[in-house]
Amino acid sequence: MLALETRGLTVGYGKANVLHGIDVAVGEGAIVSLIGPNGAGKTTMLMALMGLLKSGGEVRYFGEIIRNVDVEDRVARGLCLVPERRELFGDMTVGDNLALGRFSGWLKGDRDFKATLDDVFQRFPRLLERLSKNASTLSGGERQMLALGRALMSRPKVLMLDEPSLGLAPLMVREIFRIIADLRKTGVSILLIEQNARAALEIADYGYVLENGAITLEGPAQELAGNPRIVDTYLGRRQSAAE
Amino acid sequence: MSVRALIVAAALLLIGPWLLPPFYITLANYVGLASIVVLGLVLLGGAGGLMSFGQAAFVGIGAYTTAYLSIAYNLSPWLSLFVGLAVTGGAALLLGALTLRLTGHYLPIGTLGWSVSIYYVFANIEALGKHDGLSDIPPLTAFGFSLQSSNAFFYLIWIVALLALVSINNILDSRFGRAVRSGGRTTPMAEALGVNTARVSMTIFIYCALLASVSGWLYAHFMRFVNPTPFGLGTSIEYFFMAVIGGATSAWGAIVGAGFYIIGKQWLQTLIPAFTGRVGQYDVIVFGLIVIAILHYARQGLVPSLALLLPRKAGGRVAHHVVGSAEPLAHRDKPQPGTKLLQIDRMEKRFGGLAAVNGVSFDIQAGEIMALIGPNGAGKTTMFNLITGVIPKTAGRISFAGHSLDGLGSRQVMERGITRTFQHALLRPHMSVLENVALGAHTRGRSGLIAAALRLERKEEARLLAEAKKQLERVGLGDQFDAAADSLPLGKQRLIEIARALASDPLLLLLDEPAAGLRYEEKVALAKLLDNLRTEGMTLLLVEHDMDFVMNLVDRVVVMDFGEKIAEGKPDEIQTNPKVIEAYLGSVDECSPLKHAV
Repeated sequence: MLALETRGLTVGYGKANVLHGIDVAVGEGAIVSLIGPNGAGKTTMLMALMGLLKSGGEVRYFGEIIRNVDVEDRVARGLCLVPERRELFGDMTVGDNLALGRFSGWLKGDRDFKATLDDVFQRFPRLLERLSKNASTLSGGERQMLALGRALMSRPKVLMLDEPSLGLAPLMVREIFRIIADLRKTGVSILLIEQNARAALEIADYGYVLENGAITLEGPAQELAGNPRIVDTYLGRRQSAAE
Repeated sequence: MSVRALIVAAALLLIGPWLLPPFYITLANYVGLASIVVLGLVLLGGAGGLMSFGQAAFVGIGAYTTAYLSIAYNLSPWLSLFVGLAVTGGAALLLGALTLRLTGHYLPIGTLGWSVSIYYVFANIEALGKHDGLSDIPPLTAFGFSLQSSNAFFYLIWIVALLALVSINNILDSRFGRAVRSGGRTTPMAEALGVNTARVSMTIFIYCALLASVSGWLYAHFMRFVNPTPFGLGTSIEYFFMAVIGGATSAWGAIVGAGFYIIGKQWLQTLIPAFTGRVGQYDVIVFGLIVIAILHYARQGLVPSLALLLPRKAGGRVAHHVVGSAEPLAHRDKPQPGTKLLQIDRMEKRFGGLAAVNGVSFDIQAGEIMALIGPNGAGKTTMFNLITGVIPKTAGRISFAGHSLDGLGSRQVMERGITRTFQHALLRPHMSVLENVALGAHTRGRSGLIAAALRLERKEEARLLAEAKKQLERVGLGDQFDAAADSLPLGKQRLIEIARALASDPLLLLLDEPAAGLRYEEKVALAKLLDNLRTEGMTLLLVEHDMDFVMNLVDRVVVMDFGEKIAEGKPDEIQTNPKVIEAYLGSVDECSPLKHAV
């Protein structure tokens, strides 16, 4: 079954349409990467899928149309967005940020999250070291780890990641992609938006190219990575040690 | 501004007294008086981002000064106008010094403070008649004619209002106006480009206090009676409403807002009792609702919102610049390539107990591109901030082109020839591309508010705009002057930022992650541009994580980790340095993330 599927998804700000009829599918347990230039509408698309923006067309979540499901409910059902700017609660500790990731479950009376927390610390030992530090004092890489960790606290079924490698050092970029690829084992489905197209296609099963608000190319990730137009525009011909 | 609109407005005013019934002439006079004050708010709040809830107090100072002097000392109103301006200017200087340092919403709250106090000053001074005020203020006379009639005053008030409008429009479209619109202290960008934000804030604060004072002077001689009531907090808030309703970003909005508010209030005061049979201040309630509705549905105010309904200009254009040829600006001599341009000696910065930068030393030679790399949190951005004087250093020495930069602030460092760009392209969203770049040339011009208001700086302005055009062409954006800067994709915004930095005629350019978020194609174009700049003799220091980009472009690399320099050398030396690989690059055989995943 498809975890997430859009048919003819449109989003507009005022009169201008930003997305013109997008068809995207994320299979259960798959990693799907969406690449494209800045301003193509990638972030807009994630916001719409999360229910933060009004959209037209059809969005299906595990087969069910979720048009009238509000954001809180989408979170409760296991849809989770890690936004581009991380959007941590800077004046709260790392521990409190993680606990808030569980807020939706806590509301439903599920107050025991020790096991989930241990799992997050196992993935991100660094967060355990910084547990009582304010989130605003973390470095760029640690922030991204906390954003991912906080998302995992909600035990998501579908994780949407908006440029997780933005602004990170090469070593940290690789670490973040390793962690994302590793999440595959947990069965979570991932929709990944990235500028770092090479790494994004490398860990993905399937890829889409979003340009000017429309899907211009799609295919199995390895195939896309070999497409000459993708190479020229997004990847570059040289393979580099850094990436 | 369109000259045609001004001519139409002037023509309407000329025939106004023949068309309007006398009651509306008086109403129009009130609109004119308020417009003069609200025009000040357009400059102060709409453009400068400094909202004041105290303008009525300045109107009061102007009105009371002329009332008192012309009654007690029989002084000619034309003389007391200037005394009033002087008193208001002095008061604004004092109040500005006290409140303009406040940021965010503390500033409007601060203005509320003195707005309330000045009201009680009027109401408690015996010589000013306490709550009763002063009456029998002499009428204005000019060349033997009495300007006592409502019609004569109509012309006087509206001539002043139109002059104020023209001055505001002229100011906004000038070097000084760009500095006003630069975002001031809300962004590190303005000071980094050499804008003296404190001085700009104070200048516009005084100017709009003076406009209010002139309005008060006109009011006193029009009404021939003053008391404290119209100069209190309530009126200040009404001026604020007018600015919000009309659109605080548009000079015409000030007049439309004042007209809408005053005439609307008058209608409501007659209509509500007529329909409901109740007498009371229901008009105030309705206006409160109108303001809320406008904030919801036309946040920019009436004039900018209505302008959006007009046929849209193509391609997100916000301006129509005609840049002629002008005498080029004077520029600095480039240093001899290979000489030491920037010398950093044992630089240290501590935040509390944390050493963000710990004893880092390196030199940059003229004509080279140097990269500063290292893990997130290694202290690279702190290093940038130390070099550019944004934050003071704890210890160490820094010198540039043979002169010490120790103890200099952001603006002074910039004036010595070091200009930077920011990690998130800090462009002014509502200014055109050309204006954004012209802001970079701020320190290469001199003209201020008065020259701008009187259009005495057109020659200099032409030179500044020609420079901006030249730099935009240099980065390959010669065809997009008129677009709103934020309507362009990130790759182009980065280029605009570089053009803006170049417009300041720097000897050293600091770029903070110029390639972040760019796609491959755009990175290639950027690298080519930076390479060309080096060929032309520019020196560059950049922080960047994209190693493909860095290693193929730069001459030398400095690597930082945990606040310390761990390596320095040519790109190929750095790429094989074990320390750097461990701390930052990672080893080559770990290249694929998948190898870790399975």
